Amino acid sequence: MSILINLIIAAVIIAFAGWQIVKLAKRSKHGKCAACDYKCEAKKMMVEAEKRPH
Amino acid sequence: MTTIALFGNPNTGKTTLFNRLTDSYAYMGNWSGVTVEKKVGAIKDSDITVVDLPGIYSLNPLTKDEAVATNYLLSEPQELFLNVVNAAQLKRNLLLSIELLEFGKPMIIALNMIDSLAQLGIRYNLDVLEKAFHCQVTTTNARGNKGVNALKDQLLQDDHGMTGDTDFKLVYPAAVQQAAEQAVRGLCRDNDYDERFAYWLAIQFMNANAAVIHYAKEHQLTALLNQLPYYQAQKFEEKIYQTRLTFIENTLQAAREQAASPRVRNLTAKIDRVVTNPILGLPIFALVFLLMFKLTFDWVGTPISDILDGWLSGPISSTANHLLTQAGAMPFLRSLIVDGVIAGVGGVLVFLPQIFMLFACISVLEDSGYMARAALVLDKIMSKVGLNGKAFIPLIIGFGCNVPGIMAARTIEQPKERLITTLISPYMSCSARLPIYSLFVAAFFNKNQAVIVLSLYFLGIVVALLLAKIYQIVFKSEDKSFFMIELPDYHLPQPAIIWHGTWDKGKGFIHKAGTIIFAGTVVIWLLSYFGPTGAVANVNQSFSAIIGRTLLPIFHSFGVTSWEAVSAILTGIMAKEVISSTLMVLYHTANRTLLVASLSQLFTPLAAYSFLVFVLLYIPCFATIGVIHAETGTWKWPIYSVISSFFIALLLATLFYQGGLLLGL
Repeated sequence: MSILINLIIAAVIIAFAGWQIVKLAKRSKHGKCAACDYKCEAKKMMVEAEKRPH
Repeated sequence: MTTIALFGNPNTGKTTLFNRLTDSYAYMGNWSGVTVEKKVGAIKDSDITVVDLPGIYSLNPLTKDEAVATNYLLSEPQELFLNVVNAAQLKRNLLLSIELLEFGKPMIIALNMIDSLAQLGIRYNLDVLEKAFHCQVTTTNARGNKGVNALKDQLLQDDHGMTGDTDFKLVYPAAVQQAAEQAVRGLCRDNDYDERFAYWLAIQFMNANAAVIHYAKEHQLTALLNQLPYYQAQKFEEKIYQTRLTFIENTLQAAREQAASPRVRNLTAKIDRVVTNPILGLPIFALVFLLMFKLTFDWVGTPISDILDGWLSGPISSTANHLLTQAGAMPFLRSLIVDGVIAGVGGVLVFLPQIFMLFACISVLEDSGYMARAALVLDKIMSKVGLNGKAFIPLIIGFGCNVPGIMAARTIEQPKERLITTLISPYMSCSARLPIYSLFVAAFFNKNQAVIVLSLYFLGIVVALLLAKIYQIVFKSEDKSFFMIELPDYHLPQPAIIWHGTWDKGKGFIHKAGTIIFAGTVVIWLLSYFGPTGAVANVNQSFSAIIGRTLLPIFHSFGVTSWEAVSAILTGIMAKEVISSTLMVLYHTANRTLLVASLSQLFTPLAAYSFLVFVLLYIPCFATIGVIHAETGTWKWPIYSVISSFFIALLLATLFYQGGLLLGL
């Protein structure tokens, strides 16, 4: 495995982690269900309902 | 697309029926206050959408979540109402049915929990009910899945035509009737309303429905607003209520038939005499929780967890290391994957058996009917601190996760009481704290694991209640919310419901492992791998060591002597599970036995317990801070929560530690 591939894999892992933290911070700002990591059915349905036109 | 709106009193099995009808699963509990937002599902292979609304006793909203149902009626289109009523509590349940029927939409009344009614030895003639209410009446037992398919067929048949009588009109006393007709004329003339809707609005307005009064003001319905003082002076609200009640009583009397073999609710009554006893109630509650932790930590959860840990720290770690070396991965990548991701994320995942066991126990308590009794028992203590049993529901949901716990506080109608419940909810020991408890009790209190964890849970409750009392005095909260909870019959928990409940609560933990726990692990690995001079060979020179050592003096007061623990406390604010994964990463081990051995050299049992007290009470996680902001609508309360919880945690952990030292522990 070349140094470049090593670096790319490490960068992907770190970037994914960074993205998760940014996502958490953004969702926490919205509060309510968005802040919660528990993807329960109720939450999924609410998200779908929001997408659905009335 | 056809929309069916699901209405009913709390705890009528509405959510269960919703899940059965829509072939999906929404969180349900055998106690009121579970549905806090409307939920939407679809009946399989059809274009029918079912909307599950929060349980309400009437359309006149007393609480925030009750307003969801009324506002839904006023603002969104729906083709059919499905009114779920508790067959054993018809007199009160049908009050809501009348309000819905007056709205004029086709409606089906589902007499749910029909088995409970049969146990009471009562049967109703459905034809009589159908004639009286001018709508279809059907019987179901959603829990046992009886009558649900017939109801589903009925809904599918009526899919497009949506047939059904809509001409239900209750005759009110002459004065009410005249005033309503006058208002209808005005509304149809001035606002171009449909006569039926205008009639419903007028009756609701006279009935002092807060949401409808708000609606009238918003739409400047002068035909109603001008008459408000007259309606109030004439006490129309009381007259409307009495008329409805009399109608229901007469109808039920006419429809009632005695079943062949009456069976009384002997067993439930007998059990209730013991578990809700003023003296025995609380010790039984404590015993039930102790049993729950025994199962979680001593008997089932930990032994399975140990097996998982053996695999993770042994074959999985070494195979990953071996494969990475073979593939030519450089040491830093190997360390990131093995010492970081596998140790951190895997180290938390091995606690899954404990977490699932705890959730299974909570689901059993909910489904059996005990949780409603627990709320009743707690009501007596809660009332002493100015809260009532209703506040217990958000608090117990908080045992799973504080976020839905805080959201459930919406069921409390008094704003100050709701705020108090929101502020004390984070002190409930959520499941994310379990991994760190598990780690520490295994290291320091191997023989008393369940008792130690139970003491932490109870400490959380005690702190929350004491704070509630203080807040009550400070906020001068005098208005009392009323507490009404249905005590459902006890029944044997159903495996399918237990499994769904456990999975629904537990899968979030797995999801978190792949997201925020992963992120926290990578952050702490970076901080421990690098220092001011670049990559460091000795973790003691890393950034995490520098930060940890700088802050260490703050935590000296309760016996923390290692910078690793301080780093874990800091990263734990992202999500509490990260506390354990941080320790795994900082000690470069996925092996829990090795970590336990390292920990026992750094903490005394007293310091370890004080550390757990601190972890229980300190700053809520990001998601909880976010939900406090969303629910209170200001940043003032989340900031207050962060600062106060930190100092309360510090104070209590110090008190425990210093007190223990004085006692020679």
